[in-house]
Amino acid sequence: MKKHTFGIVIAGILAVAPLLIDNDYYLHLMILALMWVVIGSAWNLLAGYTGQVSFGDAAFFGTGAYTAGLLHDHLGWSPWWGLLFGPITAIMVAVPFGWICFRLRGAYFALATLALNEVMRHTATIMDGFTSGMAGVMILQSFTSKIPYYYIALALAILSVVCVMAVMGHRSGYYFLSIREDQDAAESLGIDTHFYKMISLAIAAGLTGVAGALYMNYMGFIDPEVVFSLHDISIMAILVGIVGGVGTIYGPAIGAFVMVLAQELFRTGGFGVITSLAESTGNASMITIANNMTQAHTLGFGILVVLVIRFMPNGIAGDWEMLVKAVTKKR
Amino acid sequence: MKNSSLLISLLLSGLLTIVSCSPNDSKTPSTDQPDPVNVGIVLPLTGKHAKFGEIEKLSFELALEKVNAEGGINGRPLKLIFEDTTGKPDIGRSAAEKLITQNEVVMLGGGYSSSVTAAIAGVAINKGFPFLVNTGSADIITEPTAHTPSGKKIDRLKKSNKSDDITTKIAELTKKAEKEAESILSRYAIFRLNPPVSEYANGIESFLAQVVKPQTAVILNENSLFGTKGAASFQKTCARLGVRVLLKESYDQGAIDFKPILAKVKDLDPDIVYMSSYVLDASLLMKQSMELGLNPKMFIGGGAGFTLPEFYTAAGKAAEKVISATLWHQSIPFPGAMEYYDDFAKRYNRETEYHGAEAYAATFVIADALRRAKSFSPEEIRDALLKTDMETIFGPVKFISYGAKVHQNRLPTYVVQWIDGKLTMIWPENLAKQKYVYPVNWPEERK
Repeated sequence: MKKHTFGIVIAGILAVAPLLIDNDYYLHLMILALMWVVIGSAWNLLAGYTGQVSFGDAAFFGTGAYTAGLLHDHLGWSPWWGLLFGPITAIMVAVPFGWICFRLRGAYFALATLALNEVMRHTATIMDGFTSGMAGVMILQSFTSKIPYYYIALALAILSVVCVMAVMGHRSGYYFLSIREDQDAAESLGIDTHFYKMISLAIAAGLTGVAGALYMNYMGFIDPEVVFSLHDISIMAILVGIVGGVGTIYGPAIGAFVMVLAQELFRTGGFGVITSLAESTGNASMITIANNMTQAHTLGFGILVVLVIRFMPNGIAGDWEMLVKAVTKKR
Repeated sequence: MKNSSLLISLLLSGLLTIVSCSPNDSKTPSTDQPDPVNVGIVLPLTGKHAKFGEIEKLSFELALEKVNAEGGINGRPLKLIFEDTTGKPDIGRSAAEKLITQNEVVMLGGGYSSSVTAAIAGVAINKGFPFLVNTGSADIITEPTAHTPSGKKIDRLKKSNKSDDITTKIAELTKKAEKEAESILSRYAIFRLNPPVSEYANGIESFLAQVVKPQTAVILNENSLFGTKGAASFQKTCARLGVRVLLKESYDQGAIDFKPILAKVKDLDPDIVYMSSYVLDASLLMKQSMELGLNPKMFIGGGAGFTLPEFYTAAGKAAEKVISATLWHQSIPFPGAMEYYDDFAKRYNRETEYHGAEAYAATFVIADALRRAKSFSPEEIRDALLKTDMETIFGPVKFISYGAKVHQNRLPTYVVQWIDGKLTMIWPENLAKQKYVYPVNWPEERK
């Protein structure tokens, strides 16, 4: 029980958070962060625990999002059905892909996932009779309040963390680890490595598909460039995993919050604090800092990632003890 | 180790500031000046569309000075708060949410690329929040019925190209769609200053019909909402003019090598080449056409990149005599148009074009509506915008409903040509400053 205390406390805090933060902007950021918890956890299961690094999570994310959007577009169903069918279609994309491409190992598999990402993006662009192509799919949001979205996102985030925890506590979790450590040794012990890698991929794809369906419902607009984006989805998923901690249960969850908040922090110049300080004091150097910070937000974001990788190679969760030591150490 | 612990604590303190800082606690210091009226402007200030965002921001600022010099909003200064969308829908949405809840703006403006504008439109529809779009050109933004299930059925029916009687079916579905959209129509507060993309080529259409009279065409477009929609509407133009489209090809955003496509175009030898592109691809397309010696009767740009000064700087001689659709030109006799052009050139030491004019005009439309609004509640501002009837440098502004569109400003579009490095208005003829150059001897132009 003790080892779950951390998670339960955090989940409890998040559950009451909307009562304390009555602010649409913060809730919006929290919803995005919770969505990234789902994607990060899924990526971590496949890459962190099973050792199969994926550069193509957007393929599953976009499939989930398009499932939700197209069910509404073509059949007039509520896009919320996407939460159920999104993961199913994502798994339908993942299974044949995995069956073929898990023959590849290491960097070659990573390249194959990259290719899958691009294949899906092009498919969605070209089949514009079915997907509306670059015109995108637009739906109306079901709720005007953010609270329902927040709790749905929170439920999915908790589900994904619990799901990874359960899998890793199960026998197949040990198989995943053994595949990561030494695939040949695992094979020689009688583990069907191909099969278990597929299981890992299917779970990851399913979770990512759910996140995609949530994105469609919440954002109300998708196009292939947005949901099949290599840079904004696939790479971001990897960053969330790496910054939070590869191969840890809570790592991706921490990473998701850090990345979403850091991105916004740099973009807005400290949530507008630095800009408003600059304006109220009229200090010339303050104004320069504010302007440069917001203009160079991508750079600041990049430096943060470099620093984390350089000084905390195991991520925030992985190097937590070192982090605590470094802060509390008195000289 | 000493260094690393220092860095880590720096990092942590940075993170702590995120958590501990409650933003905007330091509101404008109390002075004798009345509180400003805040309006949020969402623009792509960084990322791939930054060039457009920049020219718009500068124009917004230029217009803001004028508005405030005229007395602002009934004695209170107008303040524009800019937020960067980075050209991504989810970030654009963050920006809009921040402006509404943190900065407590009374309305939104700006909105550059169609996908970002569509995402922000979602927020505006949801909250019934007034949003004046000045560049986002996808038709769907001012078509509330298009979001409903019946509206989507209509769209598919139209696309299916079935020749049998679909008009009655469409009429039936339109009624149904209107009913479905009833709940959002009452609070639909999105207005659009610029014509939608489907109307961009209207000026070009009459120019082609009366001057070039082409038989065959090739259409190239960037794979983006704007690019594909622009290409699709030009295809319809071709159908109306009886022009045969030999090839319609799209390329990825960020592509730099167009020679394979252009070689194919050269083989087909079309009368006109129509391109719906942003700025970098537009200049590369023209440069590589020159290198390949591609000489159709006319190169036509579908607005966007083709009218930016950067297009001519990057493409050089290859841009000479290229024509483009445009939504504005400084020589159009709208009050203040030339003055804006000169002011912009004087202040920023560079040229401006239609995106800037849209932003400049939008500032005055916003100020006008806020002056007339009984209060700054979304409903009152919406009512004030609905009653807008004014002259701007971008043309007369009046938000009307036609077809499936609501709150749409209806304007003609024009044709411009790069003549001796100057973007010159050539069509419609009664507004043209200079006669168009046609036919063009391309090899001679590119010497």
